[in-house]
Amino acid sequence: MEEYHNGSEGSFNSEEADGIVKECIESVVGADDYSQSQVNKWTASIVERCLTQLVKQGKPYKYIVTCAVMQKTGAGLHTANSCYWDTAMDGSCTVRWENRTMYCVVSVFAVAIA
Amino acid sequence: MDEYQTEDETAFVVEESVEAAIGGNAYQHSRVNQWTTSVVEQCLSQLSKLGKPFKYIVTCIIMQKNGAGLQTASACFWDNTTDGSCAVRWENKSMYCIVNVFGLSI
Repeated sequence: MEEYHNGSEGSFNSEEADGIVKECIESVVGADDYSQSQVNKWTASIVERCLTQLVKQGKPYKYIVTCAVMQKTGAGLHTANSCYWDTAMDGSCTVRWENRTMYCVVSVFAVAIA
Repeated sequence: MDEYQTEDETAFVVEESVEAAIGGNAYQHSRVNQWTTSVVEQCLSQLSKLGKPFKYIVTCIIMQKNGAGLQTASACFWDNTTDGSCAVRWENKSMYCIVNVFGLSI
């Protein structure tokens, strides 16, 4: 069943969050190559920016945003999430992004405030 | 009912779950999907068994040791007095495993 609601309360709108996250990633690392000295700054910037944009929506949620940036060297990377929450109200959204030299995986978890 | 859950308590539960799920294994591309799933499921079921009034989010990253750089960060918008998180780093000769647990009080 379609869960997409435009700005109304109820379940978490993961499509909207997806858009917000993609924009934040592009604006922080869009044009850059992997750089060990900068990566610390980038991950911090990405999570802060995403969090700020999400909170601006003014919805009654607590948010957790995680970001992993990995250099492309042929290594394998696997991530998994599991959540113990209210499946009707809470939700998550994961965005995978890459360029020539790195991968970036951002996950947003939104937990409804009672 | 005890409403308080310490970081140490959580870290202990997580370490045990990771050991049980991938303890003696070397990195294998064909199995790693299964491992990440089983690590998060084990952690979550042990945490929910504690019976505390929390919602949990458990994330797990497994990376092959190949010389690549990996950086992770997280930011949280919650109630500082009641909610918290815990990160556990585990490794063996062929891989790294990073597990993050976020607990939000109900």
